[in-house]
Amino acid sequence: MSLLSADDLVKEFGGLRAVDGLSVSVDAGELVGVIGPNGAGKSTMFNCISGVITPDEGAVTYDGTEVTGDPPEELARRGLVRTFQSTRELKTMTVRDNVRLAAPDQPGERTLSALFRTESMQAAERSVRTRADELLATFELDHLADEYSGNLSGGQRKLLELARTLMLDPEVLMLDEPFAGVNPTLTDEIADRIRELNENGMTVVIIEHELETLTELVDRLIVLQQGRVLVDGQPEAVLSDDRVIEAYLGGGV
Amino acid sequence: MSVLDRVPTENGDLALLAGVCCVLIGGLFAVTPLRAQLPSALYVFVEVGILFVIYGLLVLGLDLQYGHTGLVNFGHVAFFAVGAYGTAMLSAQDTFAGIGLGYPWPLALGVGVVAAALVGLGVSATSIRLRGDFLAIVTLAAAEILHSIFVNFEGIFGGNVGILGVPRPIAALVSDADTRLVATLLVIGGITLVALAGITRITSAPYGRVLRAIRADELVTRSVGKSTVTYKTQAFVYGAALAGLAGGLFALYNGAVAPGFFTIQVTVTVWIGMLLGGAANHRAVLAGLAIIMGLRLISRFALDVTPVSSDVFASIRLIVVGLILVAVIRYRPAGIWGDAQELGVDR
Repeated sequence: MSLLSADDLVKEFGGLRAVDGLSVSVDAGELVGVIGPNGAGKSTMFNCISGVITPDEGAVTYDGTEVTGDPPEELARRGLVRTFQSTRELKTMTVRDNVRLAAPDQPGERTLSALFRTESMQAAERSVRTRADELLATFELDHLADEYSGNLSGGQRKLLELARTLMLDPEVLMLDEPFAGVNPTLTDEIADRIRELNENGMTVVIIEHELETLTELVDRLIVLQQGRVLVDGQPEAVLSDDRVIEAYLGGGV
Repeated sequence: MSVLDRVPTENGDLALLAGVCCVLIGGLFAVTPLRAQLPSALYVFVEVGILFVIYGLLVLGLDLQYGHTGLVNFGHVAFFAVGAYGTAMLSAQDTFAGIGLGYPWPLALGVGVVAAALVGLGVSATSIRLRGDFLAIVTLAAAEILHSIFVNFEGIFGGNVGILGVPRPIAALVSDADTRLVATLLVIGGITLVALAGITRITSAPYGRVLRAIRADELVTRSVGKSTVTYKTQAFVYGAALAGLAGGLFALYNGAVAPGFFTIQVTVTVWIGMLLGGAANHRAVLAGLAIIMGLRLISRFALDVTPVSSDVFASIRLIVVGLILVAVIRYRPAGIWGDAQELGVDR
């Protein structure tokens, strides 16, 4: 049974149908790539699934329950976590705080625990700090831990965003263009990290334009066009499909 | 620097200790024959000091709302007024106009705080989802509406006269004027310090981290699993309750409330104090408020030695305040002690 599925999603913005009867399904443990020309509805699909916007029609099912229109915070707590196409780091907070923020179940995020500085809050904060520093070290951001994240470079922000989502220990990780604006070496590093996470059981869905890295990385490739699924299958098969070549790689090749 | 490291926790505890000490010493004046003597030149300082510690509660609440959470509340005076009227109407005896129920003052104070918190809850229930500038308009309008209700429902709120005959607990215990002023300053100042300690604790805890994350980017904060509407509502209500406490204490110190005490001038003063000191830094906003209120005090003396009429002088004072604001915005946009990086302002 699929872990995450979207059925017949429709989303209109004004007169524009960004997503038009789109259905996708992802099994637990899969590593799926999503490609498509600009305006194909990739990010809108992500937004609909992650609860940032509510689809006009259709249903999103996650882990056996329907979650259509559930707010993003609810889905994040249940293990469905996403990143954003243009990195959205919390510029006015330090790198370490960006990561620590995402820690789930911190009793110190309730007023009374915070006011009385309870032992459970302090214990939780100690383990949150350890975990955050581990993640920062993994992503080689540890030397920047006390820097405001607004001062990071574009690539470092991508890493920070990834580290922040991992703090939540997600079931499903949805990455919106994790390689955009990242140099080739770092791209390979991020790809390795994603593969590692997937091998440890995390389900990952990636939107990306960087086809070379993506096709090497994923088990399955979904091509969107004009708000619908054009092709869905093995990366090699998909990339040699005539319709994909026509729509995405440019006709007449 | 990290949250827990940046605001040394000892700071909050120092304020707590100092606050409790102040309240105790103030209480000592009230219940023992111990007497204080003030040189008459100091009277005005102590009086402005009392107003400062009351406004201090306002600016602390506003700093929680705006400095940490990014909620633009241009109607802060409304919650101050609700706390004051709630306390006054419940406790006043033989008021000249309006309603006075004559209940004991501790109950009245509690009701005043709860009433302000409830009004805060009402405003946030309808408007907290609005984007910053729209919330500003709603809160400004709410304050104006409340102000005209207080003026126009004469049978209930006493119109322009307000509510008189509010009990003054400290005055009732201390007949001597000098001691009374000192004791009042100590007790209310102590309460403000305790509030400072409480606010410092919650904002230096992970709770404050969530608030600052909301200020930075609400959608990101939601996407990492935080219910931002709940946090925004809480911050707004806590700020409103603190303002209500300030109002209640003001009523019990002043012995009367009237619409003239609760004009938009109050909101403007605490906003300028906060921006001058540096939002998101509790001690800085108190210091900023002290500067702006100190300026008023100095200008009171300056009036005596300048050869202009008081009308002209009032205008000059406004010009000076305006110039200071311009200078701060130009040279220290995050406030005198504010952290430009943390507030995300360009230098």
